[in-house]
Amino acid sequence: MTRNRPSPPAARPPSLPPRPRGGFGRAVLAILWKDLAAEMRSRELLSAMLVFALLVILIFNFAIELAPALRSTITPGVLWVTLAFAGTLGLNRSMAVEKDRGCLDGLLLAPVDRSAIFFGKMLANLVFMLLVAAILLPVYSLLYNINLFRPGLLLVILLGSLGYVAVGTLLAGMAVQARTREVLLPILLFPVIVPVLLAAVRASGGFLQSAPFEQILPWLNLLIGYDVIFLAVAYMVFDFIVEE
Amino acid sequence: MIAYDISIQYMIAGYGTALGVLALYLVSLLLRWRRLKRDLQTLEELQSK
Amino acid sequence: MEPRPKLLSLLTGLSVLLFLATLAVVFLYAPLEARMNYVQKVFYIHISTAWVGMLGFLAAAAAGVAFLATKNLKWDIVEVAAVEISLVFFFIAIVTGSIWAKPSWGTWWTWDARLTTAAILEMIYLAYLLLRQGIEDPERRARFGAVYTLIGGLSVPVTFLSIRLWQTIHPAIIGTASAQAQGGFAMAPTMLQTMFFALFTFSVIFVTLLWHRVRLGRLAEKVEQRKLQEFK
Repeated sequence: MTRNRPSPPAARPPSLPPRPRGGFGRAVLAILWKDLAAEMRSRELLSAMLVFALLVILIFNFAIELAPALRSTITPGVLWVTLAFAGTLGLNRSMAVEKDRGCLDGLLLAPVDRSAIFFGKMLANLVFMLLVAAILLPVYSLLYNINLFRPGLLLVILLGSLGYVAVGTLLAGMAVQARTREVLLPILLFPVIVPVLLAAVRASGGFLQSAPFEQILPWLNLLIGYDVIFLAVAYMVFDFIVEE
Repeated sequence: MIAYDISIQYMIAGYGTALGVLALYLVSLLLRWRRLKRDLQTLEELQSK
Repeated sequence: MEPRPKLLSLLTGLSVLLFLATLAVVFLYAPLEARMNYVQKVFYIHISTAWVGMLGFLAAAAAGVAFLATKNLKWDIVEVAAVEISLVFFFIAIVTGSIWAKPSWGTWWTWDARLTTAAILEMIYLAYLLLRQGIEDPERRARFGAVYTLIGGLSVPVTFLSIRLWQTIHPAIIGTASAQAQGGFAMAPTMLQTMFFALFTFSVIFVTLLWHRVRLGRLAEKVEQRKLQEFK
């Protein structure tokens, strides 16, 4: 599914993204590719998210005392609040762009399964969030002299971000179609994302403090459960969001 | 053991807010109903003209 | 608007009578609890309003699913009605819970699973109302509303579980363990009877209110349609 069949070389210039030729996975990848390519060109979304995330870290530094002794308990909270805030910025933008340029209508006219559009957008949002995390972690490690590169923490970030963008992409799709859109997304998203944030913060804290795995496991299970449930639900109801 | 007078105060506060909020909601239902009725009447008068 | 159905008038009268009877039972029949005495009577209204909030929550989720399945706008009216009633009653439940908590636990608020979940549910419903306010097209408003109640309805039990988990792993933050002991009390049979009577009364009140609110929603829809006809 992931590799594209080699197309006849004369048919299209090689710089064009692979066109979906039937097949769900192909369509998803095409949309993901479109978003990533657009971002590679403009870099406006990622740079905004990154600068914002760094600013949040900076503000946290003044707002709460990140004393060395407290770091391993406060760090997961700071990290996830930062990721969640930067995430809403990205989610809003990625859907607003489609809406404003009329691309969403174009996408909907395309002969692909509509849930493929959802998964494509969601994966793109996931990539952006993970990229922000990939830059945030070394910066944070450097600034506060704490090693955040632990395999467990990376796993938690992956699982947490997945649940976050699954619900976030769906709700952003609704929010951009409302009058109060930028304001609406965090209000819609945060109350339903509480389990993800709680579980992610606890699991991250567990890994940072090297807690026994039995204590972390329930949180990981919760994250996985949330991801599965909400991916399935978002997949089922996305049609209702874009239907005209 | 909570002193009787304090306990009674909290009980009154509890029932007071509960009944108060409920009454406010009923009033809001009634006001909305009346306003809609008035709107409907105005619309019907406009239509009959 | 069709005249008020006989059954609704009957239900309304019954609700008022039952409510007065419940107050009488709570204050005259139910025994005074030994340790908390009078403030324990808040418990009856607290648990009944929380129960109505739960009923509204379930009704809203069911109406949301029914709308998505049938695309019939009448389910949207039921959904808004249930959300609104649930919002009001959960609010009362949270406030009365706080008022009870202060003298018996010494604090207005604890991050207990039930309390926190109820507060988050209020947030979800407020967000739901804000979402609806931002959308003019009734059909789209109904669709988005139904999707959001569905997402909210699924996330609330997960939230409850996660907060439970948080507390079993974490030691009591502020008197959760001791609060159980302090806030709990042995229920005398007459207390149980009073509680079930209150629950029954509030269930009837819920049905009555829901019906009235649905009628209000239908009237609003009618006015809306007339306006569209008039100013086309």
